[in-house]
Amino acid sequence: MSILNEISENLQKGRAKAVKQLVQQAIDEGLPAGRILDEGLLSGMSVIGEKFKRNEVFVPEVLVAARAMNMGAQLLKPLLAEEGVKAAGKVRIGTVKGDLHDIGKNLVKMMMEGKGLEVIDLGTDVAPETFVETAINEGCRIICCSALLTTTMGVMEEVVKKAEEAGIRDKVKIMVGGAPVTESFAEKIGADRYTPDAASAADCAVELCRA
Amino acid sequence: MAAVKVNGKAVEAPYGSLLSDILPRGSTDTPCGGHGRCGKCRVTAHGALSAPSPEELVHLTPGELAAGVRLACCARIEGGCTVTANAAGQSRVQMDGELPKLRLNPGFTGYGAAVDVGTTTLAACLYNGDGTRLARAGGPNPQQAWGADVISRVGAALSGGGRDLARSVREGIGELLHRMSSEAGIGPEQIEEVVITGNTAMLYLLTETGPECLARAPFTAGRLFGEELPAAGLRLPCVHAKAYLTRCISAFVGGDITSALLYSGICGGPKTRMLIDVGTNGETALWHRGRLTCCSTAAGPAFEGAGLSMGMPGQTGAVDHVLVKDGGIFPHVLGEGTPLGICGSGVVDALACLLELNILDESGFLEDDPAIIAPPVSLTQRDVRMVQLAKSAVSAGIRTLMHRAGVTCREIEELVVAGGFGSYLNVESAGKIGLLPMELVPKVKVLGNGALSGAAMLLLDRDMRGCSESLAARAETADLSADEYFMEAYTEGMLF
Repeated sequence: MSILNEISENLQKGRAKAVKQLVQQAIDEGLPAGRILDEGLLSGMSVIGEKFKRNEVFVPEVLVAARAMNMGAQLLKPLLAEEGVKAAGKVRIGTVKGDLHDIGKNLVKMMMEGKGLEVIDLGTDVAPETFVETAINEGCRIICCSALLTTTMGVMEEVVKKAEEAGIRDKVKIMVGGAPVTESFAEKIGADRYTPDAASAADCAVELCRA
Repeated sequence: MAAVKVNGKAVEAPYGSLLSDILPRGSTDTPCGGHGRCGKCRVTAHGALSAPSPEELVHLTPGELAAGVRLACCARIEGGCTVTANAAGQSRVQMDGELPKLRLNPGFTGYGAAVDVGTTTLAACLYNGDGTRLARAGGPNPQQAWGADVISRVGAALSGGGRDLARSVREGIGELLHRMSSEAGIGPEQIEEVVITGNTAMLYLLTETGPECLARAPFTAGRLFGEELPAAGLRLPCVHAKAYLTRCISAFVGGDITSALLYSGICGGPKTRMLIDVGTNGETALWHRGRLTCCSTAAGPAFEGAGLSMGMPGQTGAVDHVLVKDGGIFPHVLGEGTPLGICGSGVVDALACLLELNILDESGFLEDDPAIIAPPVSLTQRDVRMVQLAKSAVSAGIRTLMHRAGVTCREIEELVVAGGFGSYLNVESAGKIGLLPMELVPKVKVLGNGALSGAAMLLLDRDMRGCSESLAARAETADLSADEYFMEAYTEGMLF
């Protein structure tokens, strides 16, 4: 098995230490950091993402796999900068104001990072203006809003409005998700995309960044 | 107006109205409150109707759609049509238990009533002045039409439904009082005192208190009750009575927990003991060295029968227990008839059996998806994932309270399981799937409807009100949303 395959396999099993060692070994062997990232770490994460979408693996497996990926990515970071490898896109993510649930949001973040996107996490209880301001300041292509309560999902509409007011609606796409959110709701509030699970959200974000 | 036939009866409905708008209340299950998320409000409809919505396409198979099955909360009337809705069944209601010996000190001489306003069911009992129970009554909480969970109803109240929600539960309570009165041969106006218990949101909605503070973070309840009101103000048929509402501890640990704690007797004394009530929320309380700490975790609707592909409340036709015999699955169906779905206690048993038979592995992966429990009732991989989230939320709440107090399972002398779901639950299975810590299973004591029994105690001995109020006031509520230990226990607890 090639070392890149080994990285992918170990990542899928959540073996963080092994992933870190193998990434270091691959670097020492002179493999380009961009290739280690794409064919090792991200390829492993994308297998996890697909399995998650099919319900074959669940939150704990995604968490340990993401932890392993981060261990490897830490080593690659300075090298990627040197090689001039850029993230596939920049995303702002957060749970909307009044809502403190963050498991779903964290999963989306991990899946997006697993697709090579740069994700800036605003945490929970995030005000609509914060989403918009920081998206402008950081030059993000996508704003992702999460809500788990029927009583807080309405805040997503305010995020869309604030983005309109700021005049960034043509540059920034707004994605929404969370247990009470539906396709019709997303349509009603004028959000760009609704995705039912974390892996689909990551696929959708990649697609939006490519467009 | 369009001509519509509902269950054979001709009615007129405005064009564009939803089927759910014209169906009589209670004729379908609406655990999600009519937002197209649960797929439980199935009806059969033919005629001029809107095209299936995206939500209907998610929940209904092409075969079902072809047969005219629609979701009442999604399908709109565009002209003449016929609708058939099968009335939702009645849920089991858990009643009060035997009361301990009380120093009788009621605030009435004739008749008094205790009422538990549960999110799913209402339960009540009627006493006379010498502490004899004369009648009991129970029924569904009519607010279910606005959704199965507390947040859906708070949301409905905030979007203008507050008055209707209050009226609906008041009528529900009123009906129980009428039924009990007639059983005891008195008039409801002869009831002089009522003690009403319920979770914080239920008491807010009953009293038509604006529930804004229960809807979003930081979830600080401005009104915690522990107060006496004229029953007439609540439009109850006992027009001369005083109504005492039990003291709540916080926004998500309500007066029902306060009264269940009173009945359980776990507070006071040197023993370290816990109480848990599992529903859509898992409310947990720990008594340790004179301190009471509580928390509430979001278990979601999985244990209430909603949210699962074939989930249903504990009604006739629900698989309520499952065991393994001779290497196969043996289900029990409520009412002994044809299995129609599976309720919370059945789900817990079923997963324990699937684990034992190695059909389900410790990561939650299902070898056969869906796993047949009692044909045609099955559990899908997605269902298992829902239960994983629910059971780990509950067990992580228990573990976090213990961790904060520095207590191990060995030091816990008793785990009191209160509430309806807890009464039907096989605690062995709960231990096997990790809903309750395995080490605590031998220490479980099932309480039944401790909230109602506790309310009866507060009715028959007024002096206890002060004690329960001060206990609730001194109780600490652990905020789990920012707790790292909880998050770790939560993710670890998802495994089996």
